[in-house]
Amino acid sequence: MTAPVATSVAARATELVKVYGHGETAVQALDRVSVAFPHGQFSAIMGPSGSGKSTLMHCLAGLDSVTSGQVFIGDTDITKLHDNDLTLLRRDKVGFIFQAYNLVPTLNAIENITLPMAIAGRDPDQQWLDQIIDTMGLRDRLKHRPAELSGGQQQRVAAARALASRPDIIYADEPTGNLDSRSSAEILGFLHRSVRDLGQTIVMVTHDAVAAGYANRVIFLQDGRIVDELADPTAESVLDRMKAMGA
Amino acid sequence: MWKATIRSLMAHKLRLILTGIAIVLGVGFVTGTLVLSDTLSATFNNLFRGITAGIDVQVRSPKTFSEQGNQGGGGTQHLPVPETVLSDVERIPGVAAATGEAVGSAILIDSKGKAIQPTGPPTLGFSFPDDPRLTSLRVKDGRRPRGPTEVAIDVYTANKYGFHVGDQVKVVANGPVQTYTLVATMRIGTADSLLGATVTAFDLPTAQKAFDLVGKYSDINVKSAGGVAATQLRDRINRALKPRYEAVTGSELAKENANDIQKGIGFITTFLLVFAGVALLVGTFLIVNTFNIIVAQRTRELALLRALGAQRRQVMASVVGEAMITGAFCSVVGVGFGVLTAIGLQGLFSAIGFKLPASGLVVQPNSIIVGLVVGFVVTLLSSLLPARRATRVAPIEALRDVAAPPATSARSRIIAGATTGVIGGVALAAGLLGSGISLVGTGALLIFLAVAFLAPLIAKPVAGLIGTPIARIYKLPGKLARENATRNPRRTAATAAALMIGLALVTLVSILAASAQVSTNRAIDRAFTADYIITTKQFGNFPATLADDLRKLPQLSAVTPFAFGQFKLDGSTKQLSSVDPREFAKLGNLKVVEGQLPADTDPAALLVDASEAKAKHWHAGTVVAAEFAKTGKVQLPVKAVYAKNQLIGKYLVTDATFRANFTQQFANIVLAKKAPGVSAQVARAAVDRVAANYPSVDVKDQTQLKADQRKQINQLLSVIFALLLFSIGIALIGVVNTLVLSIFERTRELGLLRAVGMTRRQIRKMIRWESVIIAVFGTLLGMAVGIGFGISLVSALHSQGITDLVIPFSYLLGYLVVAVLAGIVAAIWPARRAARLDILQAISTE
Ligand SMILES: Nc1ncnc2c1ncn2[C@@H]1O[C@H](COP(=O)(O)OP(=O)(O)OP(=O)(O)O)[C@@H](O)[C@H]1O
Ligand SMILES: [Mg+2]
Repeated sequence: MTAPVATSVAARATELVKVYGHGETAVQALDRVSVAFPHGQFSAIMGPSGSGKSTLMHCLAGLDSVTSGQVFIGDTDITKLHDNDLTLLRRDKVGFIFQAYNLVPTLNAIENITLPMAIAGRDPDQQWLDQIIDTMGLRDRLKHRPAELSGGQQQRVAAARALASRPDIIYADEPTGNLDSRSSAEILGFLHRSVRDLGQTIVMVTHDAVAAGYANRVIFLQDGRIVDELADPTAESVLDRMKAMGA
Repeated sequence: MWKATIRSLMAHKLRLILTGIAIVLGVGFVTGTLVLSDTLSATFNNLFRGITAGIDVQVRSPKTFSEQGNQGGGGTQHLPVPETVLSDVERIPGVAAATGEAVGSAILIDSKGKAIQPTGPPTLGFSFPDDPRLTSLRVKDGRRPRGPTEVAIDVYTANKYGFHVGDQVKVVANGPVQTYTLVATMRIGTADSLLGATVTAFDLPTAQKAFDLVGKYSDINVKSAGGVAATQLRDRINRALKPRYEAVTGSELAKENANDIQKGIGFITTFLLVFAGVALLVGTFLIVNTFNIIVAQRTRELALLRALGAQRRQVMASVVGEAMITGAFCSVVGVGFGVLTAIGLQGLFSAIGFKLPASGLVVQPNSIIVGLVVGFVVTLLSSLLPARRATRVAPIEALRDVAAPPATSARSRIIAGATTGVIGGVALAAGLLGSGISLVGTGALLIFLAVAFLAPLIAKPVAGLIGTPIARIYKLPGKLARENATRNPRRTAATAAALMIGLALVTLVSILAASAQVSTNRAIDRAFTADYIITTKQFGNFPATLADDLRKLPQLSAVTPFAFGQFKLDGSTKQLSSVDPREFAKLGNLKVVEGQLPADTDPAALLVDASEAKAKHWHAGTVVAAEFAKTGKVQLPVKAVYAKNQLIGKYLVTDATFRANFTQQFANIVLAKKAPGVSAQVARAAVDRVAANYPSVDVKDQTQLKADQRKQINQLLSVIFALLLFSIGIALIGVVNTLVLSIFERTRELGLLRAVGMTRRQIRKMIRWESVIIAVFGTLLGMAVGIGFGISLVSALHSQGITDLVIPFSYLLGYLVVAVLAGIVAAIWPARRAARLDILQAISTE
C-alpha cells in the first residue's frame, strides 16, 4: 500500500467496521477498512454493487455511525462527536454531491449554491463564487429553480455548492450516475481542475471507469474490504484492473 | 383494490389518527349535546312527576297572556284563584280532599346576611298543606310549619348553608325581610333537593301573605275519592267550573311543566348544536384537505395503478373506501367520546349551581345513531372531491419526475368562489333583514365556502408577505419556512381556511360584544340620569316597601319604582313600563310633548311615546282600550305624550295604574337621585343603610351599572369562546396534520438540508415558522370575514339598540398574537419529527 508521505491528510479511517442489523440477519458492510485521503487528491472508490462503497462514504462523511474503528476529518475524531457538532462539522468542512435530489426545490440556483453558507449565516466569498459560477457556466441560470434546470445543470449546481464553501473535503456518490457522457465529462473535468488548480480534496464513488480516469488514484472495494489500489489511473488501466479482479 | 386500500390505511396510521381526531371531536360534540339534552329532559320529567305525585287534579284559572314583560315571560300565565272557589270544588262529588296553594319566590338569607341566590336554579316558596295527601312535601326532621313565624326548608339547602331545626331564619318574599323559626327540613317526594333550587314552605295563610295572595290561591289541589279516576274527576270539575276555572290531572300538569322546561333545554340544545355544527364544518375542511394531500402523495402510485389498467371507478373506490373505513371507525370512537363530553357538560351545570340527581346519563339510541350517521356521512362527503381528483390522475404521471396532481384552474376557482360568495351574501343580507336566522346561517356557511374557494388564489402573495419579516429575522430557516408555506398554495389555503371559521366567529362575537357594550353605555348615559339603581338578581323578589323607605331620605331628591309588564292593544302584545312620572322626570330625562304628567296616585293614566302616538293618531285626552291579564279590557285616558325615551319604551303607566291592573304588586327596580348639595358619599351611605334591610337587593351607581353590563357581556363572551375553542382546536390539529404530511413529502429535502449542515434546531425553526405563517394567514382570513359579518350584523341590530359599531382592534391584535403562539404549539410535534429524520434514509435513492 502506498502511504501518503509529505502531504497532510484531509480524512482517514482506521479499522473501520460497519455492521447493519444484528444476529442472523447481520450484514457486515465494512470489514476493518483503513484508508487515508491526503489533501489535494482526487480519489475514486470503485467496486461491485453492494461492496460497501456508499457505506464507506457515509461513514467517512459523518452521515452514518460506525460499528467500530475511527474516522478523522482533519484532526477530529468524528465517531466521538454528537449530532450537533457533527452537523456543524459537515456544514463547515465537508461538501456533498449526491447522485440525485441534490437541490432544495424552493431555492433558486444561486441560493442552492450558497446554501451551506446561508445555513451558517456567513457571507460567501464573492470572488470565489464568481469564479465557480463562470467555470460551471451557470451565470445565466442563477435565478432558476431546480425544476427549471436540466439534470446536468442540476448536478453542476450541486458541484458548485460543494465547492463554494471551500470545504476540507468533498464527497461525491456517483455524481454523474444519471448523466449522459457529455454532461459527465463537464462535471468531472471541473472536479479534476478544482483539485489540480485549487488544491481541493475529493472522494468520489463511481461505477464508471471513465469517471475514475479523472482521479489521482482508485481504491477498489470488495465485500467491505479494500482489495486493491491504483495510482494515476486512466480509463483503460481501470478497466484492465477490473477485469483482472475477475468480476 | 380493497386489500390495497386497507394496506394504505395501515401504512399511514398517523394520518388516520390525525384525520380521526377531527371526526371524533365533531361527532363527540354532537352526541354529547344530544345525550345531555335527553338526560336533562329525563331528569326534569322525573322531577315533575315527583312534585305532582300527591296531586290527582289541580284547579286553576284559565290561561291568559303573560303580564310579565321583559323578564322572559312573553308566553302565558295563570292568574290566582279567589279563596271562595275552594268550597265550590269541595262540593263536587268524588273530591276527597282539596286545598288552596300559594306559590311564589322566597329568598333565604345566609348567616352572613347575604341573600342565597344560586345563578341557575330558582328560589321557590310554597304553602305546606295540612293534609299530606295533597302534597309531595315531606318533613324529614321537625314538624310542619304552623302560624305566621314558622318555616321549613329543603334538606339540601339546609345542609349546604348550615340551617338547623330551631334556628331563626331570615326570608325575603314580596315584602321586607322577615324572621321565621325553622321548624322542619323537608324532602320533595323522596329527593333531598329540587335540582339545587332553594325550597321554602310556610303554612297557607303565611304563604298567602308573603306572596301578595291574601284572599287568593295560586291554584287548588284536589285528591279524588277512592274509585274515582283523576281524569273522571277532572271532567266533573271542568263541567262545574268552566270557563271561569279549569282542571287538569296531576300527570297532565307534570307534562305541562316538563314541556316548559323542555323549551328551555331545547334552546340550550340548539345553541350547543350550532357550535357542534361549526366544529363539524371545520372538521370537514380538515378531512378534505387531508385526503387531498394523500391523493397528491399517492399520485405516482395511482398513476401506476392506472397505467397497469385500473379503472377510474376503482381508483375512486380506493380513496372513498379509505374514507369510509376511517369515518366508520372514528364515528364509533366519537360517540363514545360524546358520552364523556355529556358528563363534562353535566359537570358544567352543577358548577353553576344545579344539583342534578345522580340518575345517570340517558343515552337514547337516537343520539348514537345521529352521531354515527353524521360522522360517517361527513367523512364520506369530504372524500368525494379528493376522490374525483384522484380519478383524474393520468397514467403518464407515473413516469414524471415530479408528481403533480391535477390542479383546479384559477378561472373555475374564481367563478365558483364568486358565485358562492354572492349567493351567500344575498342569503345573509336577506336573513339579517328579517327572513330568519337559518338563512343567516346558510349565508355565513356559503361565504365561508366562497372564501375557501378563493383563498388559494391569494395564499401565495399573502403568505409570502407574512413570511417576509420572518425571513428577514430568522434568515435561512425563516426564508425556507416562507417558501414552504407558499409552495403549495392550495394546501396552505385549505389549512388556513379551517382556522378561518373559528376566528371569523370569534371576531364577530368580539365586535358584537364591544358594540353592544359601547351602545349600552351610551344608552345609559343618554337615558339615565339617576344616580342609583336598585335591583335584584331575580326580578321577582322585589320588596315593595323599599321605594317608600327611600322616599323618606332627605339625601335623595327623587325616587321612583320602575316595573315592566305586558298588555294588549287591539289584540297584539305590547311592552309597558310603570314609574312615578313626576319623580321620573326629575331623574330620567322625560320630555313631555303634549299633555301633563299625571300624579303617581292616578289609577287610570297612560302615557305614550310621541312617534307611537302620531302613528295611532292619539293625543292627550284620547281614551284607549287596553287589555290586561288581570283586569281584562280597561279604558285608559292618554294623559301625556313624551319624546322618545329608550329606558321607558313606547308605553308608560303610573304606579297606581300598574298596581290596579297587574297581579305583580312590586317594582322590578328602583331609581333614585341624589339631592343637590349632598355629597355622593353621604347619599350613598344613606341609600346603603336602607338597602341593608333588604338583603336581596343590590345598589349600583352608574359606573357600577356599566361595569355590571360589561361583566354580563363578558360572561356570555367567555362561554361562546369556550365553545369555539373546540373548532379552533380542530383547525389546529389540521395545521399539525398538514405539517406532518408535508414533512413526510419533503423527507428527502430535509435529509439534504441536514447533510449539508442544517442543525436540528434550524430544522425545527423552519417548520415552526411555516406553521406560524399558516396560522396567521388563517387568522387574517378569519378576521376579514369576521369583520364583514360583524359590520353587517351590527347594522342589522341597530333597531335592537346596538347603535354603535366598534371594532376592538386591540383584541384582534391579541388574537393575532395568540395565533402566532398557537402556530408555534401546533408545530412542536411535527418539528420534532422533522428534526429526528434519519438523514441517510432521507437521502438514499429508492
Ligand atoms: N440500511 C441498511 N440496512 C441493512 N443493510 C444495508 C443497509 N445499507 C446497506 N446495506 C448493505 O450493506 C452492503 C453495502 O451496501 P452499499 O450501499 O454500501 O453498497 P454500494 O457499494 O454502494 O452498492 P451500489 O453500487 O449498488 O450503490 C450491502 O450488502 C447492502 O445490502
Ligand atoms: Mg451505492
